[in-house]
Amino acid sequence: MSKGEDKNHQWICDKCKVQLKLKKVKVKYLEGNFEVELMKCPSCNIVLILEDLARGKMLEVEKGLEDK
Amino acid sequence: MKPTRIISKTESLCPICLKKVSAQLYSQETNTYLGKDCPEHGFFKTVIWRSNLPIDKWWKKRDRAPIKNPATVEIKGCPLDCGLCSNHRQYTCTALIEVTQSCNLRCSFCFADSHNSKESNIALDTIELMYRSLMRASGSCNIQLSGGEPTLRDDLPEIIKMGVDLGFPFIQVNTNGIRIGEDEGFVKALKLAGLNSVFLQFDGTNEAVYQSLRGRGLLDIKIKAIENCKKHDIGVTLVPTLVPEINMDEIGNIIDFALSHTPCVRGVHFQPVSYFGRVPFMPKDKNRVTLPELMTAIEEQTMGRIRKESLVPPGCENPLCSFHGSYLYEGGNKITEITKASGCCGDKGAEEGSTKAKGYVARKWSIAKAAPVPEGSRNEEVKQWDDILERIARHSFSISAMAFQDVWNIDLERARDCCIHVVSPEGRLIPFCIYNLTDHRGQGLYRK
Repeated sequence: MSKGEDKNHQWICDKCKVQLKLKKVKVKYLEGNFEVELMKCPSCNIVLILEDLARGKMLEVEKGLEDK
Repeated sequence: MKPTRIISKTESLCPICLKKVSAQLYSQETNTYLGKDCPEHGFFKTVIWRSNLPIDKWWKKRDRAPIKNPATVEIKGCPLDCGLCSNHRQYTCTALIEVTQSCNLRCSFCFADSHNSKESNIALDTIELMYRSLMRASGSCNIQLSGGEPTLRDDLPEIIKMGVDLGFPFIQVNTNGIRIGEDEGFVKALKLAGLNSVFLQFDGTNEAVYQSLRGRGLLDIKIKAIENCKKHDIGVTLVPTLVPEINMDEIGNIIDFALSHTPCVRGVHFQPVSYFGRVPFMPKDKNRVTLPELMTAIEEQTMGRIRKESLVPPGCENPLCSFHGSYLYEGGNKITEITKASGCCGDKGAEEGSTKAKGYVARKWSIAKAAPVPEGSRNEEVKQWDDILERIARHSFSISAMAFQDVWNIDLERARDCCIHVVSPEGRLIPFCIYNLTDHRGQGLYRK
């Protein structure tokens, strides 16, 4: 992935050279399935998860599901 | 003769004289027994595991957590020096404080052998001493106020507030629910004082069960108790005592009842019957329910909606003492299993297991609400994850069970791993089963 130039943080898929789009994505952890909107490559379907999200809210959800 | 496989060597107590005797866990076919030999009173054998799943497949070995600041030293030997002593191997997850010995029921099974007496309340300053001793020994663990029937005390809100003010983060009341159902003003006062959870005795969904175990019909008042807790945002955990030939066929009904009362009802905590305190007869193996049988019954009676594979051993107490499973339930017939397959702590140490278990109990058994976030302060990306967190908090549901030990099946190695401790009026911490253990005549080691 490479970061685009404009201030709206457009993201380009490094492999397909197309712009990522905000799309509904199913995330699964343990047996929990959730649908969220994430930046996704329309060509190869790779999904971008920024570090802030991975270490922040996503980690909170993981912990909520894992619990004991 | 059936082939015998020795699982482990341990120590136990003679049910007649309470003297310490050597014992063995051994398997024959699909059953595992605790066998022990008293030089004076002979051989005793009690089933502890009935399953095609071998007991040692369930049994995860891990490091134990010797107590760093023991209150007593071992002089007479386990279980006579409890305080906790230097040979205990697990910290306190939940501490019980018995605030009264008085009760408004006379159940056929009662570990506390409680009765209707108005002169058996513990003084408030003694309770404060108990809280303070506990805080010194175990830090801010979870509290269960028990009895007797704690709601018979009009000053129960004061007792709860005292615990909150002293820094205990989770306070639960263990109750038959009669006053909770009859006196909404009292429930409101409990909530205002800081009560997090009601541990509600709930043995079945028909009155015959209550008539048999509790001496009177109680279902309507239990339902009213749940309604009152719902009104005041207090989480409820249903706690059935399971007795063969009385309510083993009620397991699925109880779970369905619990699910239909979520999110106020946070889960079901099954307690297979133990034979200590007041019991109607001396037990035979047919009068016992073992954990794997219960797991199978849960799967069968929920028509497979809760699979036994989703129920896992604990990371805190001994693996033979309990199981638990975590689920998301959002209505209808679908229950999503979210129990982590490796169990709660995997191979991590017992100290970490204890820390995690405290948090688990507090989260799973309290009414859970995500912290409010002002709409304008979060963007859409964050909001969707917050929505998931709120779903998990509101719709998580737990199924768990705890198998207590009585004088017939007590395994002292297992008792040393105990994380549920009773605070004695002198401020000592005593593992729950040891505190309640009584001999064949009902005489206790610690409970007077």
